[in-house]
Amino acid sequence: MTTELPLADVKAPVLRVRDLKAHFRLNRFGVVRDVKAVDGVTFDIARNEIYGLAGESSSGKTTLIKTIAGVIKPPLEMVGGSVQFDFLPGYDAVHRAPAELVANVRWRHLSYIMQGSMNVLNPLRRIGAIFRDFAYRHLDGGDAMFEAAVVAHLARVRLDASVLKAYPHELSGGMRQRVTIALATICRPDFIIADEPTTALDVVVQKDVLGMIRQIQREIGSSVLFVTHDMGVHAYVTDRLGIMYAGRLAEEAPTREIFANPLHPYTKHLIASLPRIGDETRRQSLEGHPPNLASPPPGCRFHPRCALAMGICKTTAPQMVTIAPGHRVACHVVAMGAAA
Amino acid sequence: MGTILRDLLRTNLEFRCGLVLVSIVIAMAALSLFSPYPPADVYVVPPDVPPGSTYWFGTTSRGQDVFWQLTVAIRNTLSFGLLVAVLSRLLALTIGLLSGYKGGWIDRVFMSINDTFIVIPLFPILILFYFVLRDTMTWALLAVIMAGLGWAYDARLIRSIAMSLKTREFTETSIFSGMSTREILLHEHLPYVMPIVFSTTMNNMNWSIGLEVTLSVLGFTDINTPTIGGMIYWANQHTAIVAGVWWWVAFPVGLIVMTFVGLFLLAVSMNEYIDPRSRLARTGGGE
Repeated sequence: MTTELPLADVKAPVLRVRDLKAHFRLNRFGVVRDVKAVDGVTFDIARNEIYGLAGESSSGKTTLIKTIAGVIKPPLEMVGGSVQFDFLPGYDAVHRAPAELVANVRWRHLSYIMQGSMNVLNPLRRIGAIFRDFAYRHLDGGDAMFEAAVVAHLARVRLDASVLKAYPHELSGGMRQRVTIALATICRPDFIIADEPTTALDVVVQKDVLGMIRQIQREIGSSVLFVTHDMGVHAYVTDRLGIMYAGRLAEEAPTREIFANPLHPYTKHLIASLPRIGDETRRQSLEGHPPNLASPPPGCRFHPRCALAMGICKTTAPQMVTIAPGHRVACHVVAMGAAA
Repeated sequence: MGTILRDLLRTNLEFRCGLVLVSIVIAMAALSLFSPYPPADVYVVPPDVPPGSTYWFGTTSRGQDVFWQLTVAIRNTLSFGLLVAVLSRLLALTIGLLSGYKGGWIDRVFMSINDTFIVIPLFPILILFYFVLRDTMTWALLAVIMAGLGWAYDARLIRSIAMSLKTREFTETSIFSGMSTREILLHEHLPYVMPIVFSTTMNNMNWSIGLEVTLSVLGFTDINTPTIGGMIYWANQHTAIVAGVWWWVAFPVGLIVMTFVGLFLLAVSMNEYIDPRSRLARTGGGE
């Protein structure tokens, strides 16, 4: 086995994540417990692509993106690895760069669509004031230019200029979500982190909002790291998809490829659980629960729930191996099958 | 703000009564500008004249017109209360918001100072200040001292709100977008605590005016500046009640009671407006 981690063929990536480890260090009455929420994750994101990150609750998705965004507060600690953005050269994590530099980079180069649009918008501020709060410092030009830029950008998400005078509670859920998307993209950032941006919306509005994210992303040519547990959303919006399980990447491939040909047993279960029109067989549910990340099982973290588990799975953690171009998977069984 | 006042006027009896009382008091204070006599002068009118058509509220044993004396006194007392309220609100807001938002050692330092101010007895300290400062004790200096003693309760109240605001997602987004601490506190958090500040301002004015009147009646302040307490002090000095000059005491007491009740009613109606339950009932959302 090579020490070089096999990677998808990504040229000039915007984001390079190498062996990232982020743990929650809990110190209770002198007993230190490490919750290994992210434990050795490696991937690249190219310019102008939407990279999806899927996984069930408590698989470490949110911790991963918080670490990537550099929003690290105790007890969360980045214990190893690196996060390199091409617009922040020379630093191996956003939160390790000088504060002034980070303040300049954020929103202009790196922005964040947070979960739950109602909570992102301050209920006591008008939308116009919120735009001013968040984006004014990052855009050059005076008041008139800023105003024009905001109105033009709102038109992109099909919102009228009159919403600027509204309070968040006066808008519908879909409008609010479109406002947050406009807020996150107004500075034409190189990289957008989207944390479940459509979770609270119904499917019709969801499709609309996803379409807008995709359209804006194509227009401004930024990269998006899109996180959600909803595989349907991933199929609709992402170019490539990484599947997380218990703090590690289990599989990564172009989205079409992963839906057509899932290799990891966990991914197979995930894809098989999706309903299909015309197929009336009962969906198989996966036995057991995701492991407790404070004391994960040795070896492959999926082995207690895996039907194919072998002896080696219980002792050695599998490495990511490239099975097909752009298709990586961390599974002993698949690797052996491919080698044979 | 305009709609809030209109709603309160339409639906809230306490607010209407409070507004009428406070308006009368403010009108009295405004009349002081038209006073025909300088406020500090004595023996400008015949002494001890009972209330009548010439001297509406009568005259004092020191030869002052009670009505015009009262207008100046209530102006000084009100502006004293307002000055204390504004200064102590500034202190409470700064310390409360900063302490709640920053947490950690800043919070611990501020809150230990805060708790000290909550537990120390104020009245003996104010008397101590008077005996130490004596002639240098002025109206403005007393206001600053009272403001320095009167912020602690509200700082704690504001801190508790700031602590919860700190964990809201819009605060995280604000930090992420590169807003400074000052901007976050001023733009994002201040609007949340303003209704509470409005309500506590009135209570704080009541508190400071009450203390000032108490100190003045006992003569522990600058007695040459006419205030409500100062008037009562001079009336007591001239044994006005025994001498039958009841109007010298009755009118100042009546006016200050009107002030207290008016401010209290305003604070109560404000509280009711802020209370989410009554707000729900008003909008029909609670049904």
